[in-house]
Amino acid sequence: MRLGWLMIPAGLLLIVFIYYPLLRGIGIAFQHYSLLDLSATHWNGLDNFKAIVFDANISFARILLNSLAWVLLSLVLQFVLGFCLALLLRRPFRGRGIFTGLVFYPWALSGFAIGLVWAWMFNGQFGVVNDVLLRSGLISAPIGFLSDPHFAMCSVIVANVWYGIPFFAIMLLAALQSVPAELYESAALDGAGWFRQLFNVTIPCIRPTITSTVLLRVMWIMNFPDIIYGMTGGGPANATNILATEMINKILKNYDYGQGSALGVVIMVILFTLAFFYLKWSERQEIAL
Amino acid sequence: MNTRRRINDIIGGWARVLALTAFVIAAIFPLYWIIATSLKGPKEIYTFPLLYWPTAPSLGGYQKLFGFAHFWLYFRNSLVVTLAASIGGLVVCILSGFALSRVHSPTRRRASLLFLYFTQMIPGFILMTPLYLTLAKLRLTNSLGALVWVYGASTIAFGTIMARSFFDRIPVSLEEAAMIDGCGPLGALFKVILPVSLPGVFAIFSFAFVNIWNELFLAVVLLSSEGKMTVPVALNSFISKAGVSWDVMSAGIVVALVPTIVIFGFGQKYIVAGLTEGGVKG
Repeated sequence: MRLGWLMIPAGLLLIVFIYYPLLRGIGIAFQHYSLLDLSATHWNGLDNFKAIVFDANISFARILLNSLAWVLLSLVLQFVLGFCLALLLRRPFRGRGIFTGLVFYPWALSGFAIGLVWAWMFNGQFGVVNDVLLRSGLISAPIGFLSDPHFAMCSVIVANVWYGIPFFAIMLLAALQSVPAELYESAALDGAGWFRQLFNVTIPCIRPTITSTVLLRVMWIMNFPDIIYGMTGGGPANATNILATEMINKILKNYDYGQGSALGVVIMVILFTLAFFYLKWSERQEIAL
Repeated sequence: MNTRRRINDIIGGWARVLALTAFVIAAIFPLYWIIATSLKGPKEIYTFPLLYWPTAPSLGGYQKLFGFAHFWLYFRNSLVVTLAASIGGLVVCILSGFALSRVHSPTRRRASLLFLYFTQMIPGFILMTPLYLTLAKLRLTNSLGALVWVYGASTIAFGTIMARSFFDRIPVSLEEAAMIDGCGPLGALFKVILPVSLPGVFAIFSFAFVNIWNELFLAVVLLSSEGKMTVPVALNSFISKAGVSWDVMSAGIVVALVPTIVIFGFGQKYIVAGLTEGGVKG
């Protein structure tokens, strides 16, 4: 039975709308390409990359550090809280379906809209976060969470963690449920307590899922400017500007497609390098791919 | 020993209930807060200390939203584009996922999977400018039809991966029997295989729907006239230099969130299964 032709529509769509634009996008990264003067378009070697790295207004080191903080802190907190949630939902109990729905639904929401919601909650004047902190006496004056550079990055990360917990919980819950019950029974017979079981049975069993989910998530968070765009747009004073938001700003605000694409190439190179070493490092573990 | 264990169990049970409650409150509160805001009048929105419950509920925000902000138009644009792209993408994914699931040659299977997985690693934004430039040359920018094609294509890779993992679990003997009865491969797929894989089909559709409905940046780049705006683009346009008027904005956000919450409500079980299958096993 020959079915290969059924793949033609999918293959064509991917080539036309993904692979061709990808190649062209990489090409644009090495050209002077600005919507504001298209007639001046020309190949300019590494000029776009130099312009990004040595930008006088926006420190590239700052953007890199912001990206690192954004990815690392979001990832760790999403993972820990998502894992806790998955452990809580592991065994059946009455109403589990409803609980699961109530804690997983943020997955379906728009990142941009969620950014706006959290911007409103963190509002310096009428924000509910300030109100709660003031009422409970933890602070004596409202904090400008999104206008104060010291708090802005923490605030966008809180929103991102809230948004990303369900994804980790969904993935880890499925993995937890596939761990054979006999393993826990024999561990309990050997006198292993809850923590020993967690570290000696549960985590080794779901390690492949952890490995692949973490990698998927790093790529996804790195490429996810929606929440920051909705909350701060990268401000104040670039305090929350990451590679992805800077790329969006270059394209939507400056119309500089050359530099925008160059940033895209930088993100891609970072992610591929990261994925390569990460997969090498976890080579001994089976990754189901 | 036994009583100690029982006491531990009871404490553990209560700790679990407490922790779960904390998670539920944390998950729901932002949604509650934006709905509560949308039902307050401007006076109640901009007061301090805050009102946790609108004392004089008003639909003023929604009236402005659907009145002068033409939100119905954007909602309809989004719905048409999202449905067309996710259903179109779904059909393509069913065909390719089925074919991929029945590929015998391991090299061909590996190559196809690599072709699909690679697209998942590309930052989508690098495609934004080339797509705009190509469509501009074809005079297809500011067209919802072109947006349907782009969005549809964006669902193909993950949808095919998901479809393949669902079809993998359906025994080949099923379609062989159908083909002995005189069906072609396509007949077997649509008459015999699809009816037993509806949960998977729904998962692929919901996943595509959610992603397309929520997409902002491509739409901002590709659409230029006000009448063509989708819901996220419209929300984006509510942000002005002077700030945000939160009565209209909160109403807009609530309306924007409803469709995907409904989809998730109906398909939660299948979506969860689809995500884990597609993401982990491949």
